[in-house]
Amino acid sequence: MGRPPMDSPQTREATKTPRRRLSPRTLRDSLAAYLFISPSMLVVVVFGIFPVFFTLYVSLFKWRPGGRVGFLALGNYTEIFGTDLPHIALLAASIAGFMCAAFLIRQRRARLGALWLSFGLLALAASLAAFARALPFVASRGDKEIFDSLRITIWYSICTVPVQLAAGVGVAVLLAGRTPGKQAFRVITLVPYIAPTVAVAAVFELLLSLRPESFANQVLRLFGGRPLQWLAEPKGIIPLVFGSSPQAAASAIVPAYWAEWAQGPSLALVSIIVFSWWVFIGYYALIYINGLGNIPRQLYEAAEVDGASRLRSFFSITLPLLSPTTYFLSLLGVIGTFKAFTHIYVLRHPAAAGTVDPISISIFFTFFRKGRLGYASAISILLFVIVIGLTVLQQRTMEKGVTYGD
Amino acid sequence: MGTDGRLRFTPGSALVFVVLFLGAAVCIMPFLFMVSTSLKTLGETATRVSPIPFEPAFWPRVPQFSNYITAWTEASFSLYLRNSVLTAAITVAGVLATSSLAAYAFAKIRFFGSNALFAVLLATLIIPESVYLVPNFILVTRLGWYDTLAGLTVPFMASAFYIFLLRQFFAQLPTELLESARIDGAGHMRSFFSIVLPLAAAPLFTVSFLAFVGSWNSLQWPLVVTGTPRWRPITVGLTTFISEAGPQEHLRMAGAVIAVAPVVLLYFIAQRQFTEAIARSGIKG
Repeated sequence: MGRPPMDSPQTREATKTPRRRLSPRTLRDSLAAYLFISPSMLVVVVFGIFPVFFTLYVSLFKWRPGGRVGFLALGNYTEIFGTDLPHIALLAASIAGFMCAAFLIRQRRARLGALWLSFGLLALAASLAAFARALPFVASRGDKEIFDSLRITIWYSICTVPVQLAAGVGVAVLLAGRTPGKQAFRVITLVPYIAPTVAVAAVFELLLSLRPESFANQVLRLFGGRPLQWLAEPKGIIPLVFGSSPQAAASAIVPAYWAEWAQGPSLALVSIIVFSWWVFIGYYALIYINGLGNIPRQLYEAAEVDGASRLRSFFSITLPLLSPTTYFLSLLGVIGTFKAFTHIYVLRHPAAAGTVDPISISIFFTFFRKGRLGYASAISILLFVIVIGLTVLQQRTMEKGVTYGD
Repeated sequence: MGTDGRLRFTPGSALVFVVLFLGAAVCIMPFLFMVSTSLKTLGETATRVSPIPFEPAFWPRVPQFSNYITAWTEASFSLYLRNSVLTAAITVAGVLATSSLAAYAFAKIRFFGSNALFAVLLATLIIPESVYLVPNFILVTRLGWYDTLAGLTVPFMASAFYIFLLRQFFAQLPTELLESARIDGAGHMRSFFSIVLPLAAAPLFTVSFLAFVGSWNSLQWPLVVTGTPRWRPITVGLTTFISEAGPQEHLRMAGAVIAVAPVVLLYFIAQRQFTEAIARSGIKG
């Protein structure tokens, strides 16, 4: 190929000045680069970027598996949120209020910090009150199923991610020590993550079945408990544990809605959460072990010389230096919550179906069983907006607390 | 645990061992249950039960290996397995080809718009799959790919995540290496194939492994784009079989064993590579 020799003035200049110029070499570089990225860009654009805009388009229509049926404008969205405009506006205002409060509280280290902080806390309180008042109305006048699935998603998220993070660190620290058979333990803790989800979920479906002779119920009997319905139990975990809850004045919309929250996740959802722990703790531990390997040993030796206890060095060396891993895993975990599908699809029992379906399952059934592609798209857009919001929030709040060890 | 590197049996390390042993037991238990149930008769699944693997009642009186044959033939697992292997192999090949080329360009070539394009690529990472379900279904149907191998594989042939992983690795390769090759007259194609790829065996294995597992375990998309058993993968086959087998727990578990066994066997054979591949997918370094 007719490349200019290295000592030609053109090439010299190109290497000397970092500014891009249309020298033959940069031109050919760009051409090669575009050629190299074009196959993957084609796939990503067609199946990864265009679909987001296409969903937005589909969400404006009544769309059946056969094709478009009719234009609805915002009809699908009013089906989700209802048409109770004052309360929708209040809900939107409260969300804007949260953002304002977050902004004000972030100014607390600036000049007049105390003033900003108190304004921020005030805004936070007002937004919370508005949110607590508006959400029940919107949820009861919009599509109850969607709002239920959002609640289920939140329960699922807060019961899986923090537990998996904590247990993952714990197992990682135990496995990093000098334990006999450590390599064998490492291999075994990862098997639940490796095995195909459909198959292991099918196993848990039997382990946690409602039959009195099921594995879970036999274990309960060993400890003198009475058999439970497990995956088929739609009742909330809190009334189950503490006896039946006092039925709130169910006529009023606001207390009735929050009373539903106060029941906690259903036992069926808790069973699914336990499955998620079983699958993911080994994976989290592995990633944490990797993170532990990056912590310089000298830090611990210095701490030991200074007379710090094991516990002390765990909290002041290990945990802070693992924060990039924690950040990564929490991001992964929360995004994972929004796409949780396979195990819930296998584990959902008809008797408890309405209490275990997170938003991903709702979208799937709206599309696949009901054949409502337009409506499913509208829910997808809602999910998309939520995920973007959460990602921004997580970046803002967590990145500051992340310590990079190197 | 002393710093001299020898194992010491202190009460603390004994406790750690016990905790880890219990954890490992919890990990293994469902698999033991799966195997023992798959070898029972239908009657035994209801009457001969125990939660403790050391008790004889946990295991069948006489192992019924014929359950596997029944499950295998009833659910046409051979077809499903073939489909899963084909789908996964094609996806992995596609991912390797497209992602490694793109990663090389993003890591080692300075070109107009590279940063912006890479940022757009990364932004797709946070979009949950559920958002793609409806539009990609419509797209794939319009392309005439419903119930075809193309519909199952092409949408997954490139992913920002794999490009990102490979780019991280390629960026660490010394630029001088490529520069000197260029002085010797090698174009980008040559340097890619003869310098970069041979050095990248480990990250390429990671990407292959992740793409393979992703394809092998996927259920939602194949449910949506397959209408007949023609190209149905084992995940869809197994869920259908599970719901059809109904109360026949021994057959359900036999089906689960058939789906689990190849993956777990592969894992035990190459466990070091597997754990390293997963660990590398985690975070830098």
